[in-house]
Amino acid sequence: MRKLQVFLGPQHPGAPGNVAFLLTLDGERILDVDLIPGFLHRGFEKMMEYRRWDMDLVMSARICVEDPDHVELSYTHAMDQIFGVDPPERAKYARTIVAEFSRLASHLLWMMHFAGPVAARYATSWAIAAREEVLKWFDYVAGHRIYHHYIYPGGVRWNLPKDLKERTLQVLDRVEGLVRDMERGFFLHPVFQRRARDVGRLKASDAVRLGATGPVLRGSGVAHDIRKALKYDAYGMVDFEIPKGEYGDAYDRAMVRLREMYVSIGIIRQAVQQIPEEGPYRWRLPMALPPGEGVGRVESARGEFMTHIVSTTEKPGGRPLEPYRIKFRGPTMAHLTTVLKHIVHNEEITVADFPVVVGSLDPCPPDIDR
Amino acid sequence: MVLKLLGLGFRYLLRRPYTRLYPYKEPPFTTERTRARHLLYMDRCIGCRACQLACPADAIKMYKIEGEWPKNRLKIFPGVDYSRCTYCGLCVEACPTSALVMTDYTMEHLITEDKSTTLYTPEMLAEPPKGEHRVTFTKDLLKPPPQPPPKKGGGG
Repeated sequence: MRKLQVFLGPQHPGAPGNVAFLLTLDGERILDVDLIPGFLHRGFEKMMEYRRWDMDLVMSARICVEDPDHVELSYTHAMDQIFGVDPPERAKYARTIVAEFSRLASHLLWMMHFAGPVAARYATSWAIAAREEVLKWFDYVAGHRIYHHYIYPGGVRWNLPKDLKERTLQVLDRVEGLVRDMERGFFLHPVFQRRARDVGRLKASDAVRLGATGPVLRGSGVAHDIRKALKYDAYGMVDFEIPKGEYGDAYDRAMVRLREMYVSIGIIRQAVQQIPEEGPYRWRLPMALPPGEGVGRVESARGEFMTHIVSTTEKPGGRPLEPYRIKFRGPTMAHLTTVLKHIVHNEEITVADFPVVVGSLDPCPPDIDR
Repeated sequence: MVLKLLGLGFRYLLRRPYTRLYPYKEPPFTTERTRARHLLYMDRCIGCRACQLACPADAIKMYKIEGEWPKNRLKIFPGVDYSRCTYCGLCVEACPTSALVMTDYTMEHLITEDKSTTLYTPEMLAEPPKGEHRVTFTKDLLKPPPQPPPKKGGGG
């Protein structure tokens, strides 16, 4: 048997962003896969040790470009613990709304990346059209399309607009219409079903053992969601279900993300109805960082995102404005190393299936490298 | 199934495209909160360097400008390097005299082929953008200002 090694990415259109894979092939079949990260390493964790805690918030959003608000949210939860504050009620709802819009934007971008390799070019355009509506909403609330810097330690950065309810409901109606068209035109399409069914199967026990989180874990049938488990921010005050798959294949993971879009829309609709009309939006925090530790865990669009911050007054030199150490843990590394290797070793995956399997894991390369 | 899909596709064919025909027909999309190019009110600036210290991207440097500046004894003003600026707005929040604000004159207008022109000196920042714009991000957005958090375990 003659083995062939192929270097796929990061310039390859089938690669999911700035990562590369070394594939070991026997003809068309992939025997082994190795992740080659490092193309996007920017050294954020080290840079943050030399910047003030409010500047670090701005930098943290760059860790996952597709879903920046969940990184900000986990950073903010850790900072809230260090400062010992509980955000105001209005801010809790605002954070929930922004985080769910971020999940929508992320899933729609995933949809664009995923539909391309399975040759459904029309669906990529629909996904980007729906995402455009979400990005315009972000510009209206947070002042920017991609990096919002809206969720802030102690609450949110500034007050929500007065016509939030009406405008948000309008945006959601438009997005929901587009998502329903995508469901009919892409997700329920027999060609897509044949392409993704029984490809990249992951059993529930393996998903748990290999450290899978988010839609990858739920696609395998494990209904675990940190929004339900920890009930952070306003998630304890809204009603929602956790979508889960049955077979754990690429199709189930895709359908979990589709149903999650509907769930997000439902959560936002409830939150804009329940949000208090008046009240503070942020507590004023001191500039000096008190000594302590904080851990923020959130359910990001790709899975569990965790931030661990240590602050100490014993830092040599200067005032305690900067954290001593920050550590981020994103979900993508586990998905592209252990989970992907497990799928390739236990199933006959061909080169043509590889973008479908990787796409169904929805990787975010910036959160591997940081 | 095929007919249904054709019908769906045909509906999209008749819709207005989402793409904005910038710069030929439409300006970039902005809202009342869009953060983009700064505007500097030099008569308000006191040269405290708070904006420079708040910038996470090290995009702001202070420049000495000769002239009569009664509020600014050091005669130093901020200049922004737009090849570094991330438009986060921390400089505007940090300014104690509201001398620095942001407009919705977005980065699409600031695109340049010459790297040496990305640096905007204080005089250039004080000059309002030539195109259509509005002042969007000021400290007024932070009104009412954040309150100190309630004390835990209080209530007498």
